[in-house]
Amino acid sequence: MHKTKMDNKAVWIGEKDLNRDPEFLESVDKEFGGTDVLENGEALVEKDSNRRDFLKFLGFGLGAATVAAGCDIPVKRAIPYVIKPDSIVPGVATYYATSYVEGGDYCPILVKCREGRPIKIEGNDLSTMTKGGTSARAQAAVLSLYDTNRYKKPMMTADGGSAEASWGDIDATVMAKLAASNNIRIVTNTILSPTSKKVLADFTAKYPQSKVVTYDPVSSAAILEANEMSFGDRVIPGYHFDKAKVIVSFNADFLGTWISPIEYASDYVKGRKINPKNPKMSRHIQVESHMSMTGSNADDRILIKPSELGAAIAFLHGKVAGGAGGNGLNERAKRALTKIAAELKGARGNSLVVSASNNVQEQLLINDINNVLGNYGNTLSFADASYQRQGDERKLGKLVSEIEGGRIDTVIVWGANPAYDYAGAAAFKAAMAKVNTKIALSYQPNETTALCNVIAPTHHVLESWGDAQPKRGVVSLIQPTISPLFDTRQAEESLMAWAGMEMRGDRPYLSYLKSKWRETMYAGGSGFATFDGFWDNALHDGVVKAGGGAQASGFNADISLAKGGVSKPSGSELEIVFFEPVSVGNGVFSTNPWLQEMPDPVARTSWGNYLAVPVNYDGGIKFLGLNGLRDGDLAEINVGGKTMVLPVIQQFGMAPGTIGLALGYGRADAGACGTGVGKDVNDVVTVNGGLSQYYNPSVSVSNGIGKEDHFSCVQYHHTIGVQAENNDGETINADEATLGQTAYGVGIPGYQGSLTKRSIIYPTDIKELKDSMARMHKDQKNFDHLNEATLYPYDEYVAEKYSQGHHWGMHVDLNACIGCNACTVSCMAENNVPVVGKKEVSRHHEMTWLRIDRYYFGDAENPNTVYQPMMCQHCDNAPCENVCPVNATNHSSEGLNQMAYNRCVGTRYCANNCPYKVRRFNWLDFTTADIFPANQPAVSKGEAVPFGADNLTRMVLNPDVTVRSRGVIEKCSFCVQRLQEGKLTAKKEGRRLQDSDVRTACQTACPTGAITFGDTNNKQGDLSKKLRSPLNYVALDEVNVRSSVTYTMKVVNKEPLDA
Amino acid sequence: MVNHLTKLTLIILLGLAPIFLSAQPSADAGKGLFKNNCAQCHAKNMKSVATGPALGGVEERWADYPRQDLYDWIRNSQAMIKKGHPKAVELWGTWKPTVMQAFPNLSDDDIESLLLYVNGMYDGSLIPKSAVAAAGTTGEATKAETPTWYYYALFAFLGFLALLLARIISNLNVLAAAKDGSTVAQRTIWQTLTSKGVIGFALFAAIILGGYTTVNNAISLGRQQGYAPDQPIAFSHATHAGTHKIDCQYCHDGARRSKHGVIPAANTCMNCHRAIKVGSKHGTAELTKIYASIGYNPSDNTYIKDYDNLSQDELKAIYTKWMADTYITEEGIEEIDKEGEAMVETQWNNLVSSLTNDQKKKIQGPIEWERIHNLPDHVYFNHSQHVAVGKLECQNCHGAVEEMEVLAQHAPLSMGWCINCHRQTEVQFGDNEYYKSYEKYHDDLASGDKDKVTVEDIGGLECQKCHY
Repeated sequence: MHKTKMDNKAVWIGEKDLNRDPEFLESVDKEFGGTDVLENGEALVEKDSNRRDFLKFLGFGLGAATVAAGCDIPVKRAIPYVIKPDSIVPGVATYYATSYVEGGDYCPILVKCREGRPIKIEGNDLSTMTKGGTSARAQAAVLSLYDTNRYKKPMMTADGGSAEASWGDIDATVMAKLAASNNIRIVTNTILSPTSKKVLADFTAKYPQSKVVTYDPVSSAAILEANEMSFGDRVIPGYHFDKAKVIVSFNADFLGTWISPIEYASDYVKGRKINPKNPKMSRHIQVESHMSMTGSNADDRILIKPSELGAAIAFLHGKVAGGAGGNGLNERAKRALTKIAAELKGARGNSLVVSASNNVQEQLLINDINNVLGNYGNTLSFADASYQRQGDERKLGKLVSEIEGGRIDTVIVWGANPAYDYAGAAAFKAAMAKVNTKIALSYQPNETTALCNVIAPTHHVLESWGDAQPKRGVVSLIQPTISPLFDTRQAEESLMAWAGMEMRGDRPYLSYLKSKWRETMYAGGSGFATFDGFWDNALHDGVVKAGGGAQASGFNADISLAKGGVSKPSGSELEIVFFEPVSVGNGVFSTNPWLQEMPDPVARTSWGNYLAVPVNYDGGIKFLGLNGLRDGDLAEINVGGKTMVLPVIQQFGMAPGTIGLALGYGRADAGACGTGVGKDVNDVVTVNGGLSQYYNPSVSVSNGIGKEDHFSCVQYHHTIGVQAENNDGETINADEATLGQTAYGVGIPGYQGSLTKRSIIYPTDIKELKDSMARMHKDQKNFDHLNEATLYPYDEYVAEKYSQGHHWGMHVDLNACIGCNACTVSCMAENNVPVVGKKEVSRHHEMTWLRIDRYYFGDAENPNTVYQPMMCQHCDNAPCENVCPVNATNHSSEGLNQMAYNRCVGTRYCANNCPYKVRRFNWLDFTTADIFPANQPAVSKGEAVPFGADNLTRMVLNPDVTVRSRGVIEKCSFCVQRLQEGKLTAKKEGRRLQDSDVRTACQTACPTGAITFGDTNNKQGDLSKKLRSPLNYVALDEVNVRSSVTYTMKVVNKEPLDA
Repeated sequence: MVNHLTKLTLIILLGLAPIFLSAQPSADAGKGLFKNNCAQCHAKNMKSVATGPALGGVEERWADYPRQDLYDWIRNSQAMIKKGHPKAVELWGTWKPTVMQAFPNLSDDDIESLLLYVNGMYDGSLIPKSAVAAAGTTGEATKAETPTWYYYALFAFLGFLALLLARIISNLNVLAAAKDGSTVAQRTIWQTLTSKGVIGFALFAAIILGGYTTVNNAISLGRQQGYAPDQPIAFSHATHAGTHKIDCQYCHDGARRSKHGVIPAANTCMNCHRAIKVGSKHGTAELTKIYASIGYNPSDNTYIKDYDNLSQDELKAIYTKWMADTYITEEGIEEIDKEGEAMVETQWNNLVSSLTNDQKKKIQGPIEWERIHNLPDHVYFNHSQHVAVGKLECQNCHGAVEEMEVLAQHAPLSMGWCINCHRQTEVQFGDNEYYKSYEKYHDDLASGDKDKVTVEDIGGLECQKCHY
């Protein structure tokens, strides 16, 4: 029996699962997919080592051991401070409140520093925007600080080659050039800092011939322009997803990448968490072409081709506000949008329609829809309008033509990278050759700095002073968390120097910042008696409330021209949609290995962009990719005249006749880690009226022309609960099928989980919630009954050990989890989890302790998705513990499944016996802890020193967590170092432990509060409250492992739209 | 025949085994037990009073009671006090509130060994003559000589006997064979020794012994109990903590609040040494090193401006002047003499070599001490847990630092040593609200089912308490 299209009780993980791919099914019960690191001695051969080298190493190893045994222990030194700073106690972490800002991306953070070096980023609970949440990008910022690729000294090009220069030389040269320039242009991405803008204003006052050109790597210019036209206010309104009962998003990935995803996610889940007594949740409809992370969280998705977006908006506008519109839109979408219009009208004032469209007329229609629905003042407001996107790429286009006209003699590029992330990058590059003086203000090299002749390296944001105003009413400070690592200078300070401004003290920009804050923030009614008091408090909190901006004036309803101006469906048979990946953005974060290795939430691919092709259901047996393409095939595509060969990923939920591809890859100058990873598609983004349109209707795809060498998609790695069929066509668990079920005849029902349906995901619809809960509780009763027949005296252990002291547990709300991977990156940062690189990922060797499993359910052509964060479940009856021959993994009285690395001999029995597949083996020397290069994997092609071997990169390591060596198993420890720290704090203070004392890294990183950790013995604790919900279940309850992690049912709020 | 020989040798060796493994009470065993269990509270000379009373003459003091009472007292004194044993109550009256730790694991033989050692140390029979002669009050008793030659001689004699017997048996066999008419080629001793059986046995023995030695050495690899390297500054804990009774945590201020005990920064030294500028033992030789590290000019009592950028010659001028001036003042002479000049030169050279090394070329900057207490990287240890929560004395692990002229590692810092303490040490259970969540233990304590809760009871032996 195959899963039928509408069998929405069943979940599947991908096409191979639905098609019962025999190869895949066979690999399922093999830990690590059956790949072996030393097949043909491959790892050794690759590093130009051979058997002789191996023997040499062996001989050397023995010799070294002998010598070591005979020698004295090397002298270690203990070096104290000369003058110890009061704020530092060696061994105790200090936290600094600052803000993570990268272009328009913003996250207020606390930076954990040990002995003066930042090692971990946490969210700032005091922020009213993010409420302590973070994103994967914010989490990874601490690794960018220690990027070996960074500029270390200022440089100037002399006669074609670049040479290191002193700041004095740079300043003298630049000031002379600026004074002699007729036209100066400063190219930036969105600047959130009001004080930076003041510096720019002072600079342009000194050089009146200069202008600032702002654009964004992924544009929202049309929204700004539409709001200027509708309201006379060139901003992005504040969206309140928490107040909206019906949310319609046209292609806006507001949970993953769009404008302010952390803020939106934290608001959004307020309407998604279920109270089982009074089940209510918002409706979320996503209209899009490829499955985005936001779309995967939607209740209903309406599939359109990318060029139909304008028609879809016009159609909905017609249905809501009256009038015609929507020519050329597919009939299915029309039927669905008609029903959506009715729902929207039913939720007048409590609905929200957003769109990522970069067409001004389309955005005007969106404004009008929201206006007609009475949403302004409720779910949208201008009092807290966002400044997170301010760019307009048309100005960049204008700059290019000005340069071509020979009118510009100096270009200063501040942080931006228009030679890569702009649709007209090629033209920009060509034009730059005509500019006389090109100055780069950047902390690391990129495609644009390569064109510049003066490099004035800036601090990383964690080394900088500054401020940020992400939206009206919210201002936050940026303070350095470490002294500058290299001979760099803050960009603002460089501009101040070049503008000949007064340079007060050692840190002139800090003085400037303080004086501006004294004039504005302090004088504006801060409630503090002295400025110093105000300033210290602001630095401590990191965020400050500022007076809200004025509400925009009335709505200008003239949209008579709008419908004519929307994009027209192309009628093309195949179209390609480009999207910003959650991990690396439009190439902005390509240099960060944590983000490169982080799998895409939906496609679960890493290290590169994969061509997403739709999966077609042939109506009977098979699910086929477009042109017969399958996962890992190589296909040649031709987009707008450019030919590329790309690896393929079969993607459910794509609009028919649409393929998708991520932006942000194929960087030419992104250090060892990002250079040449994937393919660049910025140059085939179409442009309409100067605005980037992130699709291209002119595309063709070949059949498969080969196989990707290292197909680094993790979706089929570490799978659990996959089902297969036996010879009689009955559905059984895949691992049993390979065990030779028939050889045993009939298995014992339920014995250790065999022949039972495995409880991994319980998806349901809110309207069927009661029945589904009853069904689940019946299942659980059955499991309890099965689990009673055990030799293991669990109750005795509970009475003797687990019921007193602490017993740690975790609760994961699957209705709050949006799959964003912030927890995964946070876990890597906290626990020194290594990066393994594309090749090792393709061999199932990724080391993540916490993965986010993605399951589909419902309609195979347009499925719903559920994300399940999966980490060690810390089973009280753990199967891994019993099979360890050396007792390296065993149980603590606090319910932790402990892993003693120094005891592990690497048999991997535990990993094989783990039903959740959460144990990871150090196949190679991923942390570069030993001396043989052959054991160290190459994370990327361009690296001179293996990633992580460099002392600079190693500064990010958490000193409280052991760096694991080759040949040992590791896994989630429930952040035991944090538990111990929390316990110690409580002990020192002589009080009982609160759940808030012990918060795991995944929990603190989560923007939606999906993860709750605590002590199950503390009946008043946060965790115990969560554990009372009838929605809870334990994954693989039937195998009687007594897991400590509880999940909730996934509930969606679907309506039949296609009837 | 050779088989017989092998068997015989084995039997003899096995027969000897009890001699090596004997478990009779001995003063030697008592010494080890004393060091591990008692030395933290009781003085080793058995005559002076420390945390606990002097142990010398303990048997006489308990002579009025059955021997068993003394055993019980040592194993669990509090239980006896509760029971109301007259001697116990008397002692409690004298010593309360100091509670003697319980040692339930000590066997009767162990206690006898301990008493042998206590008596031996008390009457001086175990103290080596030289130490007694030197009237050392704190001198450590060197290892009492044991007559190992006696065992070797016995072993050699028995081996000889075995060979002799084997020879006789062999000869008898030959004779018996000759009687039957067949001749047996008699083998020489050399042939016997080079026969398969003997070589096999020798190899077997070598592998066992070699393995045993290797494993033992491997275990002790990286351990450095007693490690007492020369430090860049001849800092004396005996002077600071002993004579002047400065609290350990005045300088090691991390111990109560951090995982690290923390080696004090040079500015901590300056708190006192701005005033005390000439040392009692070393004069200007050692203290000037602190000034040179931090940039303090003792001649005019100021911190030197822009100190980091001064050259070594400029530094030399400043600090040799101070050394010379001090010399002149102390000697009460008008002008520096030859001897003084030589002394200043020596002190300066010593200062330079102490504050610089291959990596650190400049005198300015931190004092690079040689680290004595090292734990492996995969061990997490937190000082504040032990000092602030466990309320342990520093001396528990670091020994009598206040008596050390040169600091030495007191404890082996091995895992067995840690575990042992976690097994025995009682948790400060009653007065810390944190431990309220251990309800069952509180009930057990109240009902008397348990007389104490050790670190082990609350999970102190579990891997992830120290390894993560």
